[in-house]
Amino acid sequence: MEKIIEIKNMTYYYKSFTDDGESQDIYACRDINLDIYGGEFVALVGHNGSGKSTLAKLLNALLTPRIGSVTVFNMDTADKDNLFDIRKSVGMVFQNPDNQMVASIIEEDVAFGPENLGLPREEIVERVNWALNSVNMQQFAKRSPHRLSGGQKQRIAIAGALAIKPQVLVLDESTAMLDPQGRREVLDIAHKLNKEHGMTIILITHFMEEVMESDRVIVMNKGRIEMIDTPQAVFAQADKLVSIDLALPRVVQLGNMLLQAGLDVGEYCTDIDALGDKLCQLL
Amino acid sequence: MFRDVTLGQYYPADSFVHRMDARVKLVLSTFYLISIFYVQSFVGFGLVTLFLLTTIAFSRVPLRSVLRSIKGIAVLIIFMCILNIFFFDGGELLVDWWIIKIYLNGILSALRLMLRLVLLVLGTSLLTLTTTPVDLTHGIESLCTPLKWIKFPVHELALIMSLALSFIPTLIGETDRIIKAQKARCASFDTGGLIARAKAFVPILIPLLVSSFRRADELALAMNSRCYEGATHRTQMRLMKLSIRDAIGTLVVILFFTAVFLTRSDSIIAQHLPLWIKF
Repeated sequence: MEKIIEIKNMTYYYKSFTDDGESQDIYACRDINLDIYGGEFVALVGHNGSGKSTLAKLLNALLTPRIGSVTVFNMDTADKDNLFDIRKSVGMVFQNPDNQMVASIIEEDVAFGPENLGLPREEIVERVNWALNSVNMQQFAKRSPHRLSGGQKQRIAIAGALAIKPQVLVLDESTAMLDPQGRREVLDIAHKLNKEHGMTIILITHFMEEVMESDRVIVMNKGRIEMIDTPQAVFAQADKLVSIDLALPRVVQLGNMLLQAGLDVGEYCTDIDALGDKLCQLL
Repeated sequence: MFRDVTLGQYYPADSFVHRMDARVKLVLSTFYLISIFYVQSFVGFGLVTLFLLTTIAFSRVPLRSVLRSIKGIAVLIIFMCILNIFFFDGGELLVDWWIIKIYLNGILSALRLMLRLVLLVLGTSLLTLTTTPVDLTHGIESLCTPLKWIKFPVHELALIMSLALSFIPTLIGETDRIIKAQKARCASFDTGGLIARAKAFVPILIPLLVSSFRRADELALAMNSRCYEGATHRTQMRLMKLSIRDAIGTLVVILFFTAVFLTRSDSIIAQHLPLWIKF
């Protein structure tokens, strides 16, 4: 697999002012070294304030590193001339769908990105239809977004990012404000895009359940990367996860409890159905 | 309060007037407004009213919905009329009692003023009843395009307008949440005098303002992420196309405007008409 994003010795801090007017550097990311490969599904997890959202904003040059470098498709994010091309290849969806809507008609909101790219009208229409189709929202094209459910709104926001046709899609806590059903909808679309279109997905979340189906998990704590590994390998270090306030997914917890109770269901099972099957075989 | 606010007072229907191009409607409405202030004779006013009623009929908007718009300015109209009746002299003296003197011209001018205001409000509200705010914004943007030549930020203003429109429902929801949160902490919004009530709104406005700034910040990030770089090399998906409808509408307005022009007392034709037409 080809390396598409390369982060080297990157540190980011922002200035914070105390009530006395003194400035203080707050380190959001420290000494980060990370490579992202094309077609991967990467989950980035961490507790609140672990620096994961800051890291996301560094990926499409919304922020630029103070020390070190971030290179996206061989373009340095610190170079202002690259901004447009970087943002064209790295799409981003944020937490609150309401704050990402620029128009009061869904179709026009999705068209915002392609319009910014300066595409001809026919292609914009084509891309809007394609993007709405990809998130299964085509029947809402002419409607207004504010009557939709949270999950549906977030799907529109994803369509808005997709219409730019990025190679990488960053979901920055995009599921955090949604109910379980909405969360499922968004995750299903992310996985579908990854499998069917080979799109690289970087899913930022603090729900450990969402991590299980990813190729790699990056665990962040206090601005540093604690672990980079497959979900199974990460879940194997349960003590370490707990020490940085992250809980194991409930399926994994259940599997572990069954193991301790003397039932050999195998280690770190991430699929509830597989766990059920194994249990049935044992009984 | 929670009906579809983004639509403003838009009355959804599929009619001749609804389907006209927003730009054409804006230009024709301007002509209509000019004609209201151009007419002087009551025959002229009759023509304008006739034109308005015909347009309403073709728009399939119930007359009652259009008339509702007058309610808002009824007090203003009455006040202006009273001023005109009492403080306008000239013409025949009709009432002379104590310090009150009412002249014929006063009554006539009050009547004209009333008709102008009513026709003005009805006409403009017909425009907003038959055109969605989104279409209006696009129409205004398109009509103002020539202003780009003098570096007027047409695109930016249109974007601000459309952003404002799309955030109205969100902010209303937010206001509602804040009110409920304050009520849960025993705030009261419907007791006390006017000043006490106004003061009660401060704890609603401040959180609303703070959260609006936060939203604006996030929106800016989201827009940047979607490659927004201002109006340069930007294209538009929306296609505005003129149709035969717009041509017919324009023709009708031109005919109407000519007729109004002819009823003016100083026009050549009016000089050959009987005297009563000049009032």
